[in-house]
Amino acid sequence: MKTSASGKTKMKEIYAPNQKVKAGVYIIAAFLVILYLLPIYVMLNQSFRYVTDLTPRLYLPEKWTLENYIEAFTSSSLIGSFKNSIVLVAEVCAVEIVLGGIAAYGLARAGGKVSTTLRTFNICIMMIPSLSLLVGTYSLMVKFHMVNKIWALALQTAAIGMSSTMFFYTSFIISIPKDLDEAAAIDGAGIFRTFFTIILPQLKPITVTRLIMIAVGAWNSYAMPSYLLTDTSKSTVILTVRKAFYTAYGAVQNVPLACAMCAVALLPVILLYILLQRYIIEGQLDSVSK
Amino acid sequence: MDKRKKGILLSLSIPAFLLIFIFMIVPLGNALRVSFFKWNGFSQNMRFIGLENYLSLFSDKVFWRSTANTFVYGFGSTLLQNIFGLSAALFVNKQFKGRNFVRLILYMPIMISGVIMGAIQYYIFSYDNGVLNNFLNLFGIEDIYWMKSGVGSVLIITLINSWQAMGFCMLIYLAGLQNIPKMYQEAARLDGASKWQAFFKVDIPLLMPAITTAVITNLIGGFKLYDIIVTLTNGGPNRKSLSLSYYISLLYFNDEKAGYSSAVGIALFVIIFIVAVPINRYLRSKEVEF
Repeated sequence: MKTSASGKTKMKEIYAPNQKVKAGVYIIAAFLVILYLLPIYVMLNQSFRYVTDLTPRLYLPEKWTLENYIEAFTSSSLIGSFKNSIVLVAEVCAVEIVLGGIAAYGLARAGGKVSTTLRTFNICIMMIPSLSLLVGTYSLMVKFHMVNKIWALALQTAAIGMSSTMFFYTSFIISIPKDLDEAAAIDGAGIFRTFFTIILPQLKPITVTRLIMIAVGAWNSYAMPSYLLTDTSKSTVILTVRKAFYTAYGAVQNVPLACAMCAVALLPVILLYILLQRYIIEGQLDSVSK
Repeated sequence: MDKRKKGILLSLSIPAFLLIFIFMIVPLGNALRVSFFKWNGFSQNMRFIGLENYLSLFSDKVFWRSTANTFVYGFGSTLLQNIFGLSAALFVNKQFKGRNFVRLILYMPIMISGVIMGAIQYYIFSYDNGVLNNFLNLFGIEDIYWMKSGVGSVLIITLINSWQAMGFCMLIYLAGLQNIPKMYQEAARLDGASKWQAFFKVDIPLLMPAITTAVITNLIGGFKLYDIIVTLTNGGPNRKSLSLSYYISLLYFNDEKAGYSSAVGIALFVIIFIVAVPINRYLRSKEVEF
């Protein structure tokens, strides 16, 4: 009897935490939320100040102003760079998803030595740090007149990300039962009809997750764009914001304006994140547990 | 499967591999070639010097410093992200109101570009009117020069990188925790195991696949670290907080030593392989089936 009694108290411990524990949980939760929203607070706080406002950055501005936002929209090249970033993201997503998905279908279903070798090769490619190819890539792209061309940067970005997209798609397609393919084949469906009728409909969740990851990566990419898009009219959002923060020799840096541009640049990303949180977080959870 | 069908399936991966070939394999070959030359990166004048670039790596203090930093960024971030990530996952896995909100906030920084994050964090850690110093002043603590020394800068970069990317680990572990059948925990607890014993003896071994994914992803990510450094310290003070990735780009575009930059790139490539492959193999061998 003794054991079952102690078992019961243990069950209670597991399922009914007391009030003190609950209060502790909320204190930790509040601390974490503050810790993770602090940079956003710092950025917004700065963006509503006048340049001359020297109040400590922890506290709210002495006098609030919207002039930084007005300037960010009117006199900077921010709007043009939004267009460039959107074009870049769309091109990278299209190339990577279409080519990566089709290749993964072939690799997952062909079987045999060649496909295994190609998949191992692909995993090795994933480990290559893209910056170690900087000299090799940049000097070749200069030679073939691919500097200041968004499509060229998009192809380069897609190529760097291709191996992981192929990797994720291949693992996903392997987990789809082969019986379905074979049944379709008996019904007379060829390779392409099998792909469009059997495989493609099942790829929806992983495609949404991959699309979001690729888009966020391309939107945020900095190193290659900073070298390949030197022309201001071709600048992406991240490059423009980075430039606003950068103090050139002798130039006076306008931190509030830079922060306002930063806030405008982050807004679409954060909005999309909140709207698509179900796909981003649940999608990540699913793709990991596969 | 007949040979023809297999051939068609394998040929589906040609476009994807072609793109990888053009933008990764060819540049890799080109980088390897350039690394045997003395070249400033743009002139026609290239002089073959054999292994001299590689030999001068040994006497280059900045190279060794950057390599050490890269190891700190890689291993330090991996350690911190896994500890924070696992703790956060255990925390968010508790039943309490608002846990989805906390999860949403903790994952959010991953959506924000490293360059922008570094720029904002600069105003938190800066000596002059930084938010952290403002906060410490409240308790009568004098301003601290956080990024005065190379070591301080490296530690702060590691900390910020871990803070920013922790959400990824959290999601991986959350998925892992939710996949472990509840009965294992309960059985262990009823057998008299303490909460910690049950955690270390039951949960951790079953989380091994999640740990492998998290460690390898974080390691490779940390070894490639670039964006945050650009805006947070710009590699300073005096090139003491450079990562190898950043050193490569400085050598190429600032110092105009394309050949030497290529050699450093190849070194980074080799380092990542030497580090990641055995660790991956070791962790895979620790995974258990359930």
